[in-house]
Amino acid sequence: MNDETKKQIQERYERHLDKGERFWPDTIFKDLIMSLGIFVLLLLLATFIGVPAEPKADPSDTSYIPRPEWYFLFLFKFLALYGQLPLIGKIEWLATVLVPVIALGVLTLIPFIEKSPQRHYSKRGLSISIMTIMVIGIVLLTLMSEVPTVSEDGSTLLGTLQTIAGIFIPVIAYFLLFVFKSNNRLMVWTTSLVAVSMILISGTVLALAPEKKAEETEVATTLVDQIVAGQDLYSVHCVECHGDDGSVAIIAGVEGLEGEKITPINSRDVLYTITDSAMYEVIAYGRPNAGMIPFGKTYGGELSRSEIDYITIFMRYSWDDRFEAPEVPELFPPLAEGEVPSYDVHIQPIVKRYCISCHRAGKDNNNYLMTSYEEMLATGDNAANNIIAGDENSYVLQTIQEHPILDENGEEIISMMPPTNALKPNVVDVFIRWIMNGMPQTAEEAATLSVTPEATPAP
Amino acid sequence: MWKNIYLWLDERIGFNDLYANLLDRPEPKTTWWNTLGSASLFLFVMQGLTGIFLTVYYTPSPDHAYDSINYIMEGVAFGWLIRGIHHWGATLMVILVFIHMLRVFYTASFKYPRELTWLIGIGLFLATLGMGFTGYLLPWNQKSYWATVVGTQIAGTVPFIGEFTLKVLRGGPELSALTLQRFFSAHIWIIPAVLAALIGVHLFLIIKHGESHFPTKED
Ligand code: HEM
Repeated sequence: MNDETKKQIQERYERHLDKGERFWPDTIFKDLIMSLGIFVLLLLLATFIGVPAEPKADPSDTSYIPRPEWYFLFLFKFLALYGQLPLIGKIEWLATVLVPVIALGVLTLIPFIEKSPQRHYSKRGLSISIMTIMVIGIVLLTLMSEVPTVSEDGSTLLGTLQTIAGIFIPVIAYFLLFVFKSNNRLMVWTTSLVAVSMILISGTVLALAPEKKAEETEVATTLVDQIVAGQDLYSVHCVECHGDDGSVAIIAGVEGLEGEKITPINSRDVLYTITDSAMYEVIAYGRPNAGMIPFGKTYGGELSRSEIDYITIFMRYSWDDRFEAPEVPELFPPLAEGEVPSYDVHIQPIVKRYCISCHRAGKDNNNYLMTSYEEMLATGDNAANNIIAGDENSYVLQTIQEHPILDENGEEIISMMPPTNALKPNVVDVFIRWIMNGMPQTAEEAATLSVTPEATPAP
Repeated sequence: MWKNIYLWLDERIGFNDLYANLLDRPEPKTTWWNTLGSASLFLFVMQGLTGIFLTVYYTPSPDHAYDSINYIMEGVAFGWLIRGIHHWGATLMVILVFIHMLRVFYTASFKYPRELTWLIGIGLFLATLGMGFTGYLLPWNQKSYWATVVGTQIAGTVPFIGEFTLKVLRGGPELSALTLQRFFSAHIWIIPAVLAALIGVHLFLIIKHGESHFPTKED
């Protein structure tokens, strides 16, 4: 650029300054309003959306689908699509290094690549067109980032469409733009057509995309929630051997470990000497020599890092006298006279705490599983007799009232349930009312069945 | 008395000079698009303030990071608000800086005499992304852990120096306590220092050259 042009630019700028405004107060005023608006937006986002809770990092959980932050998703998607291309798709660094470096390099050096002093958009067709397609591509790739490239039925249609919209069309467009670079009209047409087709194809992809399954990760954040979650997990995984209060010293009723001597885990010997992180290791790795299996995913068990932490927290706040337990809500809301319990509100939490430890897949339970409403009513070798609406002789009601089921020869075929500890009377009462009233699933269904004595209007 | 204090300060600082040099400057007619840079600056300051609060309770170790964040959310008065602002501020800042860059591009404001402003801007853009990348790991939850695993893996694909880069980022072949320590230090000291310095130069250049005018047909 010669001094002549530089002077021209300066002079033109001076003229605009003369017709312009003052930084204070004119420009600043707009800036302040904008910042204030953003501040309000931040407050709203922080208050009403907040930060979703996530489970603790678990390096051993390789089933977790890793994803970068949202503003790198487009790159991630680009890499995935690129990897499907024949031949060059195998040369990874072309996409992870070369393409980003070139893109970033061009972006950085724009002032030295686009050297003409002209600023009006009508004179910058090429660079504006390229940038526009680039930005649209980035936005679309971000939107499509969750859509798989191979559908569950093995079809690659979605992947192909994504590659067309995200890679092929833009590449062809850049090519055409260079060919048309001296003709503004052709460039505008190319850019518009390309933009529209990219958006349409991506729209199709999004419309065809399989419904995303809401992944349910329950994360307990408050202490009370953590204690409750820990107690549920403890009930499922630990109760069999350690008992519901952790006091078992000689294991009874567990195949293979009958009569095994163990230290009661609610004792000071255990709680005072084993720190939280050591407790984590004990639960995760188990005590294979003493018969305790590994529970952590790291060692092939079922529990994640967070889940083991919840169990430890439950143990501390229940048995460790150095910890003062907060008020933990009852397992289920107490029933009023004539009220009918529902599966959702009453039965489910009870079953989770007292029954699921055995009544789930892979345990010795006559194939009677209880992890969902449907399973409870329909599974098991004795499915026809386990739960019969309105029948006191339902096996479930008999066994929880300490009446084992006998066959014609008087031999016990089902022991009392749970096998070692009888349920408390109020829990038994819930089961009786539930089955005698036809096993309603939701709270609404249960409410219609309830015969509450003349609802007294609230004062 | 206030008057005396004012006069005393004025004698040493020179408010009039400040006013004349910083505030009472001519500008071409500006639009709302010109507010994006200062909005990015505002977010940077907000991130700094909320971030400082967060470090009061945050502990950068794999054993305690998760619990300390949980404590901020549940136990500290208004901790959820501070963290919420920091969380959403990060997202907004990336968006705003990006749109600010686009507007500078579309109005060709990077041309003479503002080329250096643009170069510094690219540095700011990368540093902002770096803040996001390093900050994301700190809560040490599943999402952040695995995002960092894939993020650093990509660095590992660079020919020749990939393995070395990966090890530098992670502080070893695997993600570990060292990675967290490293990212923490980058997130609260190294990158913010770079950002602050670059923003200083950026602003100096903007004041020196003035805001560019909206291009017209004759430009
Ligand atoms: C942390 C990030 C950034 C901050 C805090 C920031 C701040 C600002 C401010 C306050 C202005 C003046 C007002 C305005 O034009 O909006 C400005 C202008 C400018 N910025 Fe940035 N900026 C950032 C990032 C960037 C990036 C990523 C680029 C480009 C790569 C960039 C390039 C420019 C240029 C060339 C100008 C002059 C524009 C003109 O005179 O019209 N900045 N910046």
